Amino acid sequence: MGDVVGLVQTHSSKEDIKNSIEKALDLINFKPKGPVKSVDIKVNLCYYWHAATGYTTDPQVVAGIIDCIRERYGMDIHIRVVEADATAMRTKHAFLMLGYEKLAKEENVELFNLSNDEIHQEKVSVDGREIAFQIPQSLLKSDLFINVPKLKIMRDTKITCALKNIFGCIASPRKIVYHPFLHEAIVGINKILRPDLIIVDGLVALGRFPIELGLIMVSVDPFSVDWIASQVMGYNPSKIKFLKIAMKEKLGELEGIKTLGESVIIFKKIFPKENFFSSKRWWGFQLRLLRLYTRIVKDVVPPALEEV
Amino acid sequence: MLNVGIIGLGHMGRLHMMNCLHVDDVEVVAAADSSKRALKKAKLVGVKHLYTDYHDLLKDSPNVDAVVISLPNFLHFDSIQLALEAGLDVFVEKPMANTVEECRKIVRFVEKSGRKLMIGHCMRFIDAIEKMKATTGKGRIGDLQVVTIEQILNGPFAHGAVPKPVPEWWFDPKKSGGGVLIDLGYHLIDLFRFFVGEDSKIMFASFDYKFNLPFEDGAIVILCSSDSYIKGIVNVGWYQKSVFPEYNFRTILHGNAGYMSSDDLVPRNVYLHTVKEGTKNLLRRAVGKKIKPLSYSYYYESYYKELQLFFDCVKNDSDPSVSAIDGLKTVELIEEAYKTFGEKRFT
Repeated sequence: MGDVVGLVQTHSSKEDIKNSIEKALDLINFKPKGPVKSVDIKVNLCYYWHAATGYTTDPQVVAGIIDCIRERYGMDIHIRVVEADATAMRTKHAFLMLGYEKLAKEENVELFNLSNDEIHQEKVSVDGREIAFQIPQSLLKSDLFINVPKLKIMRDTKITCALKNIFGCIASPRKIVYHPFLHEAIVGINKILRPDLIIVDGLVALGRFPIELGLIMVSVDPFSVDWIASQVMGYNPSKIKFLKIAMKEKLGELEGIKTLGESVIIFKKIFPKENFFSSKRWWGFQLRLLRLYTRIVKDVVPPALEEV
Repeated sequence: MLNVGIIGLGHMGRLHMMNCLHVDDVEVVAAADSSKRALKKAKLVGVKHLYTDYHDLLKDSPNVDAVVISLPNFLHFDSIQLALEAGLDVFVEKPMANTVEECRKIVRFVEKSGRKLMIGHCMRFIDAIEKMKATTGKGRIGDLQVVTIEQILNGPFAHGAVPKPVPEWWFDPKKSGGGVLIDLGYHLIDLFRFFVGEDSKIMFASFDYKFNLPFEDGAIVILCSSDSYIKGIVNVGWYQKSVFPEYNFRTILHGNAGYMSSDDLVPRNVYLHTVKEGTKNLLRRAVGKKIKPLSYSYYYESYYKELQLFFDCVKNDSDPSVSAIDGLKTVELIEEAYKTFGEKRFT
């Protein structure tokens, strides 16, 4: 069953962000499943790129979430900001470079690298394919697991938001091994790890270029979030492959999805949509042409394009 | 035939190795790297002697005449010293070494050994810079007054087509020698010296720490030539997300009769340039002529040109245009900027 998605327009001051998150949580009438003593906030720190690029979660949004949680559930709860190493990114450096160490000191929260957690391997079947994942166990124990994805485009999947950010929880750094079956892997990991709440950081979103969208989007269902996020970014969600697989695998349903608060249209109008048909083909064409050229001419490949 | 050893097969080492394969009368006979994967790649292009420790390559020197060193910065001093002691000519990536003290010792090693040492000041060999240099002093812009040079990229944090982690030594300023100033800034300060051609001093430097790292990721430096008082403004950063083929670099020469900018001398459309130069190489190959390696990328070609010059100097027993003194003087200016205006010194 789909769920409600709250959309709130915000500005980039800490107080505004906090108020917008509060407003969005009230819109969806969020209630945790039980008493809240421990909270895990999964941010999206895919690489050492500043939040202004639209690639990574803004620490200001996380600060706003922390303040909201403490106001609602008490000052003594244990809050962790979590991320796992990726193929090219090391969490310890990302926490420092992107302002999370400073945030942790100011807000008195723990920064935790999921790649250093107790890890169990779990296998799931998605669309007839069995996929194994390294699962950080402590994530399964938190009272409130909050997913804080970005709103951005990605050449391989068209959009990346709530479901894709959970893919970043896989403890093994070399996530690139999942890329040949990325859509199935996104659905697979979401079958194992189920966040209790999704708060999308759409302060700066990433389309053809970064744009100050000023959007906070909230829901308890990642599938519903991604469905609406696709619409915000100007794509037909029924044509996003991992959403189609998610429906097939009963991870999400269209019935019950509705938006509250601001209209999708407001954000859709200003989002710089990427034409994937042309960009993906153009990129692939360039790489194929370069490969062919270097094979015939025996020319050198610049390091940035090596091993393509 | 000149037999060459490649020491260090990381990002730059592999590029140099591949470029060496295109230089006439040069054969890459040995390579050293701690990564077996990197050595496997060297083997694939026909390198016979492979070492996991560069000390072994320098001890064995299996018919090696010259080495190309692309090790992490903190290993430059040791490897240059050993290579010169082994009687080899040396091409080394910048910086020559991390400190002025090490650089001065290297200058003495070179004098004592009588071997060639060339530093990889590749930006002097960018086509646009070569054209600007050829024009200066010919009245086109009058008397040179100010040189502004800027380069803002991702530096070691650039994300390649295939993602790879940034090597850990980059995060340790004791090993890297500092931040963006000793990395990209090194080239820009060298370019100022290249155009002004005199001893210079640091007038002012300001460092930024946008990424909260224990070394600067942005720097603005003002230099002045000691005799002619020509000023240089260097603006360098690692903080900008950059994706190939984007290249946020420019040099502007301001004279009292006009100005000249490298932006006017680089291809307006890099894609068209690539296709044009690629087609030329295809035609060269078709008629059996030698190709111009990497000419399809207007700035990567400079890496090939600097290596070719080094090997020409070795073969002809002439002095390289970028000497150990150039390496020393550039590091002197960087150290002066760090010591006088920086909050920290790393070594």
